[in-house]
Amino acid sequence: MNVLRYLPVLAAASAAPAFAVQYLSVEQAQKLMFPDATAFREQNLALSSSQMREVEKLSGLPARSVAWRVFGAYRGDTAIGFVVLDDVIGKFELISYAVGLNTDASIRQVEILAYRESHGGEIRNPAWRRQFVGKRAPAGLSIGEGIANISGATLSCTHLTDGVRRIAAIGQLLVKK
Amino acid sequence: MRKNFVATAVVAAFLTSPLVAQATEAELLARIEKLSAELEAVKAELKAGAQKTAAVEQRQQQIEAPAAAAASAPATVIGGYGEINYNRPTRNPAGAQTDVRRAVIGIEHRFDERTKLVSEFEWEHAIASAGDQGEAAIEQLYVERQFGNGMRGKAGLFLIPAGLLNTSHEPTAFYGVERNFVETAIIPSTWREAGVGLSGDFGEGFTWDTGLTTGFDLSKWDAASEEGRESPLGSIHQEGQLAKSRHLSVHGALNWRGVPGLLLGGSVFTGKAGHDTAGFAAPDARISVWDLHGRYTPGLWDLSAVYARGRIANIAALNASFGDEPAPVPSSFAGWYLQAAYQSFKSGDIALNPFVRYEQFNTASSFTNQATPDADHKVGTVGANLRIGEGVVLKADYQKFRGDSARDRLNLGVGFSY
Repeated sequence: MNVLRYLPVLAAASAAPAFAVQYLSVEQAQKLMFPDATAFREQNLALSSSQMREVEKLSGLPARSVAWRVFGAYRGDTAIGFVVLDDVIGKFELISYAVGLNTDASIRQVEILAYRESHGGEIRNPAWRRQFVGKRAPAGLSIGEGIANISGATLSCTHLTDGVRRIAAIGQLLVKK
Repeated sequence: MRKNFVATAVVAAFLTSPLVAQATEAELLARIEKLSAELEAVKAELKAGAQKTAAVEQRQQQIEAPAAAAASAPATVIGGYGEINYNRPTRNPAGAQTDVRRAVIGIEHRFDERTKLVSEFEWEHAIASAGDQGEAAIEQLYVERQFGNGMRGKAGLFLIPAGLLNTSHEPTAFYGVERNFVETAIIPSTWREAGVGLSGDFGEGFTWDTGLTTGFDLSKWDAASEEGRESPLGSIHQEGQLAKSRHLSVHGALNWRGVPGLLLGGSVFTGKAGHDTAGFAAPDARISVWDLHGRYTPGLWDLSAVYARGRIANIAALNASFGDEPAPVPSSFAGWYLQAAYQSFKSGDIALNPFVRYEQFNTASSFTNQATPDADHKVGTVGANLRIGEGVVLKADYQKFRGDSARDRLNLGVGFSY
């Protein structure tokens, strides 16, 4: 029966055009971030207004959205982390990305799923994305303060960094549950 | 699956029931009624289950719908940037000037996930008409297609990937009211050519660009004017306007961003510039420009350096034809700068970034004929960018021209980009 729950996701993924800018599917990103997970369960989050205020306070950014796409990563019955999906605007276009969070709300990994701008694809560099690993919101999760700028891609890397900081703040709510 | 299970259960219930022959009719009826009631209950439960599944699926679709819509929209995006500058020569206040330096409207349209159009329309100096000095120009106009292997191809009028400023020339992206001299006098920013280009990456932080485009038209050189002395390439660029294309130019750029915060790169552009123009004295003239650039942004620091050099070859006969005119074509021109900026203050969306820049450049560092090379220009700039959010910047700086103090000036500006 569990398979049924993922049918719409699978259908959407297979129906989507195979666009060139798509570097990773959601499933691929999940496996990359949690290679030892045996299952990923969709645990979408709807933030209450007080939770939104908490996210804003912690990240220093508008919480932006009530609904968040979250997957719990499980090894057997043990929760080992979360994968949160999001999109931010780079300069003109959307960057689709996924943030892997550990059970203590620290960042495990950041993966770019799709990037559409002509410039700034350098946010995909593993060395740049590694700067996020192990950090909890909000410390060290701003451009110039913990995350180095990418020359020629200032807007893309700033907006992505803000997005990750927001998700790291949401992560702290997830682990409180 | 579940229906089969229920049916089996019902059949099993009949089979395992006591022998029908031994039961009274009333008992049988009661049992059938009981079973029938149970069956109704199971049916109802199944129906409720199905409704619940449908509701869950619907909810999931609702959650996914915005994400799917977000991934494809928006198809057309309008952007823009502009700058309004004030320059006051400190030794000659009468020469103070205010100018709507440029106003640019950019429209990007995505035809599909792989194909888009990028355009930028620019007005310089506020008014463009027969009686005014302004100009209206197409700064970029190209279509770009993403290929399956991650490479991007483009065709149209696009920016040449030289130096640091050319492809990133919005006022919010550089320090100082005016663009630096090296990337206006040596690299003629905003430098664009029409043609085709290909970009991609090698992994490990390496990205590359290459292309085949229009080039310069040396027959436009005016030896009687000082324009060529201000920016040799700026005076003979074609900007996609009925551009002579007998000869095309090639370019390539390689950049490395393997360490967070660090960019190291270089570019080269070369092509013939005579275009078999009738009666032109330098039919084999070749123009080449190359640069090396680096930028490092550790923490709140922003350090950058550019070295650029240009060469114009096979022009001896052309220069000889100019006789005594004051501005022959130089064989080489070059320049470099070092710049350091630091974010000294940040509160909310306001950030103050003081900077210093030293640049040295020469638009005529050698000639083929007897003409004496120019002396190097040495300019020091000190100032600050005050950023308001990420779209607005207020700028102030002072520029000191060594050996030419009549040009020393104070600059103020406001710029925006969205």
